[in-house]
Amino acid sequence: MELDQVRKVFPRRDPQTRRQSELVAVDDVSFDIARGEIFGLLGPNGAGKTTTIKIISTLLRPTSGTVRVASIDVTKRPTEALRHLGTVLTGERSVYWKLTGRENLEYFAALYGIPARLARQRIDSLLERFSLGARADERVERYSTGMRQRICLAKALLAEPQILILDEPTAGLDPQAARNMRELIQEIKGEGRTVLLTTHYMEEADQLCDRVAIIDRGKIIVLDSPGRLKGLLKDRQVINLELGNWEQPWQAELVAVGASSVDVHFDDAARLYRLSLHLNGKLSMGETVTRLIDLGAQLQNFTLSSPSLEDVFIHLTGKSLRE
Amino acid sequence: MAVMAQATGSARPSLLRAAFAVVGRGLKINLRYSTWFLPYLVWPVVAPFGYVFTSRALSGPNNEALQSFARLSGTTDFTMFVIIGTTFWFWFNMMLWDLGGSFRLEQMRGTIESNFLAPVPKAFMALGAFVQSALFGTTTVCLSCLTVYLVWGLRFTGSVLGLVVVVLASIPSIYGVGLIFGSLVLLAKEVNALIFFVRGVMTIFCGAAYPVAALPGWMQAVSRVLPLTYSIDGVRVIAAGGNLGDVLPHLRFLGISGVLLLVLGFASFEVIRLHLLKTGTLGQY
Repeated sequence: MELDQVRKVFPRRDPQTRRQSELVAVDDVSFDIARGEIFGLLGPNGAGKTTTIKIISTLLRPTSGTVRVASIDVTKRPTEALRHLGTVLTGERSVYWKLTGRENLEYFAALYGIPARLARQRIDSLLERFSLGARADERVERYSTGMRQRICLAKALLAEPQILILDEPTAGLDPQAARNMRELIQEIKGEGRTVLLTTHYMEEADQLCDRVAIIDRGKIIVLDSPGRLKGLLKDRQVINLELGNWEQPWQAELVAVGASSVDVHFDDAARLYRLSLHLNGKLSMGETVTRLIDLGAQLQNFTLSSPSLEDVFIHLTGKSLRE
Repeated sequence: MAVMAQATGSARPSLLRAAFAVVGRGLKINLRYSTWFLPYLVWPVVAPFGYVFTSRALSGPNNEALQSFARLSGTTDFTMFVIIGTTFWFWFNMMLWDLGGSFRLEQMRGTIESNFLAPVPKAFMALGAFVQSALFGTTTVCLSCLTVYLVWGLRFTGSVLGLVVVVLASIPSIYGVGLIFGSLVLLAKEVNALIFFVRGVMTIFCGAAYPVAALPGWMQAVSRVLPLTYSIDGVRVIAAGGNLGDVLPHLRFLGISGVLLLVLGFASFEVIRLHLLKTGTLGQY
């Protein structure tokens, strides 16, 4: 798959001033994905991940630039390009809830032109593989969220595509279901397929992807393997602190004495402020803790960790994936 | 079980097979709503009531007003006259909700994008919706005629062949309008107001409940360009004892308008589809 300077601009009208403007959702995005690779598109909500996915899967026309799937231009020959793609979109409503799991797969098999006998064999195989065999003849409306996501994945694999596109495949799933989904994705890679997935879960990108492109505000900020991306911060420690209180002016204070970035959010469940500080060598861990106590922070706990992909994102953009 | 990840893609998909898959899917889903059929049995019986009893009240104690009605309509059997018109109006109305709403329903279900991801020309959705709606609508209108017979005691004594020919000739124009309408609904993201507008126009101009001859001159001119006018009048001519020769002008108009409207219908779907892909609003409702 090759994307070359893909750009998507949406016209906008300000509701108050009524003035026309433009929203650049995808801004000159270029990357190649090699056969057999799991490629991740990592970024916060609104970064342009889904817009990019929709352009690749022919659901959206780019303003400019080219996308090639199996050497086929998706804008000029969309129907042909789709023969090489299987896509799982966000959300669980891309199948018919009033049909059974099996009926859904039979319907989409007909759309994909799979001969009836072969379709039956593939459907039986996929239903067993995704542990849906026992409930294949129940309506999808009675399935759990995880089951619906699995039937969507089965639908995408019906035509045995070379390339699988997964848009936030574990969104909305409980931790066990999410782990099962990730294992399935790794199995699919093991079959020799190419996978493009979008996610805003950095641990998912870290675990699954051979390479990750971090995208923010429509632009690719950096692209490399998770290991090399984390290596960008190899000289920087990350100190994670749990505080009972927090004052906004402390952020500027910490940056002023040498912290390269400060990310703080309130944990509702634990009733704690969680602080992640990137130390760039100018400030030691001891100095950091002492400074916070001097400022009046109620320190509950602190740990040191190696940089994660989210830390890389914070380092490059100055904000967290949660914002 | 290991699956070979070859560069096979799928077999070449067939537009017709995909369209018939849409029909099969639609029928299965409809049948799973257990009360779906009730309006189609009740409404054709209920709809004529107001017109028929108003006509009886206005016809005078010795039905003297019927002669005036006969001069305009060609018949004194106003009950059959009204029921033919309202049955066709009902069929048209059902088509608007069915075909017009089907694309919007796909948007609301969240399945329209899944369908568009299939490697088959997207006209399959329009073709499938047309076939499903035509089959479903024609069948339920036939059932409605049965209930009309049972409740009103009316019997169609005209040529059954003539009736069937006029009904079949009406299908392309009725559903061509439906495809245009359904495509506009995809764009407008709203169906109720559009249906009320289109249905209202047809109610006024097509002579469902009164002779077109009773309308002012300019309104009669509008009636003469609407295919539904010819469908309703054609069946009335047959019901009054006419033969196929008597409805040749009707069939000619319905044939030409049917072809034009179907072509326009599929073209509208394609133009609007491309617009939705450009604006990114395909899945929005």
